[in-house]
Amino acid sequence: MSVKQALLALLEQGPRYGYQLRTEFEQRTGSTWPLNVGQVYTTLTRLERDGLVEADGADGEGHVVYRVTDAGRDEVAAWFTTPVARTQPPRDELAIKLALAVTTPGVDVGTVIQQQRSATMAALQDYTRLKREGDLDLAWGLVLDSLVFSAEAEIRWLDHCEARLRRAALERPTPVATNVETPEVAR
Amino acid sequence: MSSWRLAIRLARRDALRARGRSILVLVMIALPVLAVTAADVVIQTQEVTGVEALDRRLGTADAQVTVPAEGRPMVQRFDPMDGATTVGGKPDPPTEAEISAALGGARLVEERVGSVSYATDKGIGYVEVTEVDLRDPVADGLFELTSGRLPETAGEVVVNDAVLDSGYALGDTLDLGRQNPAPTIVGIADSASLRTAPTAAGPIGSLGLDARNGASPGWLAEGGPVSWDAVEALNTMGALVLSRAVIEDPPPASEIPEELNWDSGDDSMVAAVALIVVMALLEVVLLAGPAFAVTARRQARSLALMSATGGTPAQSRRVVLAGGLVLGGAAAVLGVVLGIGAGWLLLPVVQRWSSHWFGPFDVPWPHVAGIAMFGLASAVLAAVVPAWIAARQDVVAVLAGRRADRPPSVRSPILGVVLLGIGVAMAAYGAAAGSGSGEFLIAGSAIVAVLGMILVVPVVVAGVARAAGRLPLSTRYAARDAARHRTRTVPAIAAVAATVAGVVTLGIGLSSDEAENEGTYTPSLAMGQAAVTGYDLRPAAWDELARVVDRELPGATVTPMTGVGGEDWVDLQEPGGSAPLLDEMSVGFGSSMLVGRSVPDLVPGIAAADRERAAAVLADGGVVAFTDHDVAGDEIELMAGERGTTIRVPAAYVRFQDDTYPTLAAVASPEAVERLGVDVGTVAVAVAGADVSTEQEQDVTEAVAAVNPNAGFYVERGYQAEENTRIVQFVLAALGAILMLGGTLTATFLALSDARPDLATLSAVGASPRRRRSIAASYALVVGFVGALLGAAVGFIPGIAITYPLTAPAYTDTGPYLDVPWALIVGLVVGLPLLTAAIVGLCTRARLPMVARLD
Amino acid sequence: MNPLSSTVLHLDTVTRIHGEGATEVRALREVSFRVAAGELVAVMGPSGSGKSTLLTMAGGLDAPTSGTVSVEGVDLATLGNAGRARMRRTSVGYVFQDFNLIPALSAVENVALPMELDGVRSRAARAAARAALEEVGIPELADRFPDHMSGGQQQRVAIARAVVGERRLILADEPTGALDSETGEEILRLLRARCDAGAAGVLVTHEARHAAWADRVVFLRDGVVVDETGADPADVLLESRR
Repeated sequence: MSVKQALLALLEQGPRYGYQLRTEFEQRTGSTWPLNVGQVYTTLTRLERDGLVEADGADGEGHVVYRVTDAGRDEVAAWFTTPVARTQPPRDELAIKLALAVTTPGVDVGTVIQQQRSATMAALQDYTRLKREGDLDLAWGLVLDSLVFSAEAEIRWLDHCEARLRRAALERPTPVATNVETPEVAR
Repeated sequence: MSSWRLAIRLARRDALRARGRSILVLVMIALPVLAVTAADVVIQTQEVTGVEALDRRLGTADAQVTVPAEGRPMVQRFDPMDGATTVGGKPDPPTEAEISAALGGARLVEERVGSVSYATDKGIGYVEVTEVDLRDPVADGLFELTSGRLPETAGEVVVNDAVLDSGYALGDTLDLGRQNPAPTIVGIADSASLRTAPTAAGPIGSLGLDARNGASPGWLAEGGPVSWDAVEALNTMGALVLSRAVIEDPPPASEIPEELNWDSGDDSMVAAVALIVVMALLEVVLLAGPAFAVTARRQARSLALMSATGGTPAQSRRVVLAGGLVLGGAAAVLGVVLGIGAGWLLLPVVQRWSSHWFGPFDVPWPHVAGIAMFGLASAVLAAVVPAWIAARQDVVAVLAGRRADRPPSVRSPILGVVLLGIGVAMAAYGAAAGSGSGEFLIAGSAIVAVLGMILVVPVVVAGVARAAGRLPLSTRYAARDAARHRTRTVPAIAAVAATVAGVVTLGIGLSSDEAENEGTYTPSLAMGQAAVTGYDLRPAAWDELARVVDRELPGATVTPMTGVGGEDWVDLQEPGGSAPLLDEMSVGFGSSMLVGRSVPDLVPGIAAADRERAAAVLADGGVVAFTDHDVAGDEIELMAGERGTTIRVPAAYVRFQDDTYPTLAAVASPEAVERLGVDVGTVAVAVAGADVSTEQEQDVTEAVAAVNPNAGFYVERGYQAEENTRIVQFVLAALGAILMLGGTLTATFLALSDARPDLATLSAVGASPRRRRSIAASYALVVGFVGALLGAAVGFIPGIAITYPLTAPAYTDTGPYLDVPWALIVGLVVGLPLLTAAIVGLCTRARLPMVARLD
Repeated sequence: MNPLSSTVLHLDTVTRIHGEGATEVRALREVSFRVAAGELVAVMGPSGSGKSTLLTMAGGLDAPTSGTVSVEGVDLATLGNAGRARMRRTSVGYVFQDFNLIPALSAVENVALPMELDGVRSRAARAAARAALEEVGIPELADRFPDHMSGGQQQRVAIARAVVGERRLILADEPTGALDSETGEEILRLLRARCDAGAAGVLVTHEARHAAWADRVVFLRDGVVVDETGADPADVLLESRR
């Protein structure tokens, strides 16, 4: 996640000091990705070093207010117009876990999948509940949808994994002794 | 061609898959084909054609020669029975030798054919007789001896069972009346052609046939084939010839003499047959139409996919039409095969009802081919409209799964109204044209009106659907669904409507005809009175008749009526007048002038006051004269016919009441008759005071006929509706009911199968299983009721029109009579739809389809 | 609230076998399952997992081979065909993937259908139907015929039909299957609202996003319940957020 560009984008709308930037970020993204104030100031220092922002004096209460430079403006514009690159897939713990599970004897992959699916579904239910809580502002709504769709994508991927495992099990009963037919989970 | 092959293959598979629907269409088309084929086979078999009848008429002879009394020269058609007449009338009959010579010296065996009266156990009957030497081999095949022996002398005859049933036994003497031979019955033999009528046969002279009872001299000739030239030669001599050779191998039709060359296949017959065929075709097409409409929609998706992948509308059309070809072809073959079988099985049954022996089993192949073509054509025609619609369907809507038909076009209803208008105009013109060409115009108008009505049906159905908002659920659903699926509903409604229109037309015609009969009926006697009348009877016979009636009807007052009789008659003339007193009259009581002191009670149509006036004049020795106009005078001139005596007497002029046909010219007092000097005697026997039952009437009639065949007995019962009329009305209603049931059932069950998804939905939202029944019944009600209403309305057009030529003949000033059989029509429009709805409701399974989907 | 008394739908060890012998298919195997009033339960599973069979059982359109199905405490097996039909028109509302409206009837008539079938006077049934259409947000479409509506509008009518009257159990079979995701969400919102208002809902779907609208998600595999996500953790989360 690019905190740098996000802060630049916020500053583009007007000079702000560090705490203001943090509050505004969380408000826009629904507190999905919490920022601490230290991280904000570290980032601002780096931005100032790179000539993208400049300190614009202090306000009445002594907060240092930052302002975006022309170079910073260019950087923001470039960020918005460049798609997020997927060339370097983020390290996905779940994918790695399943990849190891199917190759490690004695692990019940079916249960792994089902447990993960239940957990993801629970999260999805949470997101959905938040969605129906009432009027959301558009930005927060879109972020929520992003979470919903990625959780859904994960569940679909899990379904797909399960289906492939089943087929593999049907075609070659060994060597992967997967117990796909998970025993009924007690309520 | 190859695309047809594909279409037919598709259609065949579809027919096999949708078995219920296919069977429906098969039955619908095969049934009429079967019925007509069977009827045709029976008719062709029972009809003994010229060649088939030869052995029956000729025995083993080569020709039959008769010499009628008309005189020479004669002309004849190939079979003299078909037509023969004299063209000269010279009474110079050929002799036996001349005939034999004309036939190249053929051997002649004399044969006389005729009918004579004979005494039966009930009175007098008639027997068909043939005088020929039955032992001669040439007569082989004319009669078949079943017991006893053939006659050997002129005093012996053979008879058939019908004669024995009227009171004779083997060995009895056949009573042919005085002055006739009294032959002995020596055997029982069946005629080769007549089955039930009494027949007798014996040698020449044995049965008393001669010129007096109309028998012409005739011979069976044996001596080689008789050519048409020989026949013509004999014609010139005044003889008619039935030649085996000519009938078996007739000369060209141009050989038929000009005088007899009328057109036997008359146009009206052809027109009538064409009308019937068109109506039947229309009905079958309409009945089978819904099935093809449903088939076409079932295929709609495949057809839409076909056009989406580049199929042409013509190919879509072909697929649906091929369904008609496949099912029509199968139905035609099935119907013909079963029809021939059914005809064969029916023959013995029909034979029992016929008075003639049937010919050999006869399948009229050209007819059968025509009937099969009819079946095929009706199926293809029934598929035409669905095919046309399928080819024009909205591919997008079909692929999107929308199930309704296109909205109705505006043009066709307008055309329909125009056709209806033409129908009305034709009917009116036909009515004005009167009998002759009128009937055909009116029948044509019926077809035009029905066609117009078919085009109007969609609008009516749509209107009913719109008006259905307030109806109960099932009816509302049925009405709306019917309107949504017009291709299926319209032909069914039209079939019902066409049926009802036909029944209403015929019904109106029938009851109007009946009304005419009743309206123009004139009683011969006063109501409830009876009389014995007769001609050429001696006084002793009258006494005997009076006794017989007295015996058969105890309690009745039997009064001999006297009148001017014998060779005498009396003319009546108003003094100074010249107009006849009565323009027309029929003699009802043996004489135009009765003699007595009063007008007999049994004379109908006389007012009571007139009777008193008449009695007063008769007491004064005067005369009562009947007139058809008012005459003021109080005297009359009487002229005795042959004798020329003229007298003038006091008279009362009495008018017959308007609805009575005059049966008597006058009643004269005995004094007046005496002055004229004419013969007076019994002319009739009046029977009063007895409530004569039909059985008694039958008994008296037979007893009277036994006394003298010239006497008859009549009971006035007023107008008696013919039993036939009621039977025909009943048959009409029953036929209408069957066709209506057929049309309604098809439409309903097709609708139910079409409505499966809807029924499943209904079931899911909680409809009870019985709902399917009420929907089916509602469907039947909508189809039946709308159809019957439209049909009844359309039926009135030709119905009313036909009453003009039917009940207002050109030569009378009565009529036209119009009697609308409201009971029949209300029954058709209200009763029948309710009945069919009830039947449909009961026949429908109370089971809704469940949503039984496996995932 | 006593959880037993509020149970609207109860499937108790229900087994359903289609066909027999070689063609035998076990659609459901000893499935037990409860839905309480005010609760929306999603049933998830791939094709052939038995989720639609479960729904037809719940609506009494099909009978279990063994086990019992009770709606509002009444064992459906004791009702008979007519009784089950009555139950469907008074207590149960169905929503299908392909809407299943009757094309010959207008929207308001489709919605009034269950009540009319139940013998409610036409006028009263229509009034209730209009109210139901109002509730699903399409009062203006009352007199339209299904052929002249979009998929979303048709499904709203179907939902109105499922909720009209005092129905306490709503059975939805892939109700969003034929709709785009936005419209699908609207439909789910309606269902959810109905359950929040006290009805019990069963939602059969194969889409996780839609199942997530439910309080509980039941996973079916080959006719067996393999897992279930309870509502509780999420509730805790929510409470903590407030």
